[in-house]
Amino acid sequence: MVADTQALPLAGKRERTLGRLGVRLLAALPLILLVLLLPAKDDNFSHVAAYAAIFVMVGLSMNVLTGYTGQISLGHQAFLGLGALTGANVVSSGVHSADPFTFALGLLIAAAASGGAALILGAVALRIRGLYLALVTLVFGSVFSDTIFTLPSLNGHDAGVPAYRPDALATEYRYYLFALAMVLVCVYVDVWVRRSKVGRGLIAVRDNELVAQAFGVNVLGYKLIAFTISGAMAGLAGGVFAFWEQAFSDKDFLSVAGFNFALTFVVMVVVGGLANRGEVIAAAVFFALVSPLSPLLPWVADHTHWGTFYGNNKFYISNVIGAVLLLQTIVMNPGGLGQVIGPFDSWFGGKKFTLHDPDGDAGVGAMEDSSVRA
Amino acid sequence: MSQTVLAGTQFSVQIHFLSPLINGIANGAAYGLLGLGLVLLYKSNRIFNFAQGEFATVAAIVTYVFSSGTGWLPDLPFFVAAVFGLLAAVGIALLTERLVIRPMFNRAKVILVVGTVGVALLLIGIEGLLPYPKSQGLPTIGQVFGTQDFIGRIDGIPILYQDIAKLLMLAVLAFAAYLFFQHTGTGTAILAVSQDTTAARVVGISVERISLITWGIAGLLAGVAGILLAVPPTGTVTPGAFTGTTLIVAFSAAVLGGMTSLPGAFVGGLSLGLIQAFANADSTFVPGLREIQNSQELAVFLVLLLVLLVRPRGLLGREA
Repeated sequence: MVADTQALPLAGKRERTLGRLGVRLLAALPLILLVLLLPAKDDNFSHVAAYAAIFVMVGLSMNVLTGYTGQISLGHQAFLGLGALTGANVVSSGVHSADPFTFALGLLIAAAASGGAALILGAVALRIRGLYLALVTLVFGSVFSDTIFTLPSLNGHDAGVPAYRPDALATEYRYYLFALAMVLVCVYVDVWVRRSKVGRGLIAVRDNELVAQAFGVNVLGYKLIAFTISGAMAGLAGGVFAFWEQAFSDKDFLSVAGFNFALTFVVMVVVGGLANRGEVIAAAVFFALVSPLSPLLPWVADHTHWGTFYGNNKFYISNVIGAVLLLQTIVMNPGGLGQVIGPFDSWFGGKKFTLHDPDGDAGVGAMEDSSVRA
Repeated sequence: MSQTVLAGTQFSVQIHFLSPLINGIANGAAYGLLGLGLVLLYKSNRIFNFAQGEFATVAAIVTYVFSSGTGWLPDLPFFVAAVFGLLAAVGIALLTERLVIRPMFNRAKVILVVGTVGVALLLIGIEGLLPYPKSQGLPTIGQVFGTQDFIGRIDGIPILYQDIAKLLMLAVLAFAAYLFFQHTGTGTAILAVSQDTTAARVVGISVERISLITWGIAGLLAGVAGILLAVPPTGTVTPGAFTGTTLIVAFSAAVLGGMTSLPGAFVGGLSLGLIQAFANADSTFVPGLREIQNSQELAVFLVLLLVLLVRPRGLLGREA
């Protein structure tokens, strides 16, 4: 867990940081092997794992916006959907539809389109003060999906737009590895945002807008950067989502389905603990596995006598799991998973095992001091 | 459609004007009813309650299962069932206050708002898991009193009793809530707590009790809305019935009317209902919108942005 108030590591500390990194890598080795090898078992496993990878990308996108910048978005499904729509349309309109170049171009344009949409939304919405931003993003998400994604010329006249993968990524496992690579791109962006001048600016804005402004930080500019980066990451995730499903279908993002997506994204980033990268990733994987699209719970249900009950109620079961964890987190455990894992984490880092949470400003605390306070 | 236009311009204009007008007022009354509770909680707690739509749904579901005798339940008269429905909505609202809002009293408002989103999500899930026939409707006024469903027709368009009931109830409740804040001790105490919690405590107001009362009233308002709105042909009793579509518009309506003004919920609700009806693709007034499905939602979003950017206090609200 990185304390935001902590000074950046000095040059002399570098060796100790490397040592700590080594210990962590060793501890993470079984996890890395699990992540790489378990999905190889069969196509179904790879398919779920790739879905989890997409959720992780969205989680990191929300982490940049809500965790570092303290801005909330209840309409992130619009950026995911716009990415999926753009990616699928670029590839399916290409003459050599499945070649790697068009595919890469599709993903790039997907990220650019969502980033652009987020920039425009931000430019308008960020002038709105306080809690109203949450409301505007909620309405934006729903309205954008219901108007743009239902345009017949963009959604394949309600039949869906096919999204062909290049031959090299045809199998589910290979596609999963590709999704994992895209996750690494998002992790890199997240780390870069956190460590760069931009990240320090964002956190300054989040912690106290007036003070940041007094120190000459361009508040609106930095918020816009965060909105754009977050939108672009969600758009990239959307592109990966379209090729994962091998089609864009507007039904995935409309009304109740879209609303569920948007709320799940908020839930996972809050439950993970805002501004805690690792824990947000863990929470995203968890929520991908219990989501209605994941085959994990049906598998459990089939092996117990809950099969039909689950089949009839899968949307509602995911809702209840997400909501209970969200409420438990914000009421009793505001640091999220980070607060639970924190003591073990600091123990691995060579410090004492203590239940005291050293940096209260991670997790929901990240929103506590933010400008969205009304 | 071109046939009607050829038949007589006068006639077609009337149809295209009257039908959205009547629909707009009926829908607007619905937005206003849900919006009343939203305004009440914003005025008193400065939060957006995203669970308001689900409080309404709970009332509708409980009324439905008691009035239709689902499962082993008795087949109660509609009005008795409605009382149970209102009690359920108030109960859920009180539980929400006690379990989610109270423990986070001193936290940032945005976290409380995320909490109400969680409550909405949880309620949708629980409503879905309960065994009762989904997507049914509550009995219409005609069925309850054994009369016909509409009071009369204007140019062939039936004027439904339930739409008149919604409009009347909205006007009565908005006015009653306005009087409550202006002329009763409890109402004044609620306003005092919203302005300065510590100062309110100093003069002897129990902030906890006031918070419970506020949420109870919000639950009651949601319950009335739920029972009036879950009536066919426009409404059904189904999990998340009022969160998916109605709540978003109700919020926008409340913002348009002014989040701090209870009569504003009435004015905003009706205005937005009308704006939506006339922005609908079926209406001929704005030709460009015909290409876009759900253009009425686009209109809602544009109105919301416009109000927030140009006049954040809405039509009737005070400076926040």
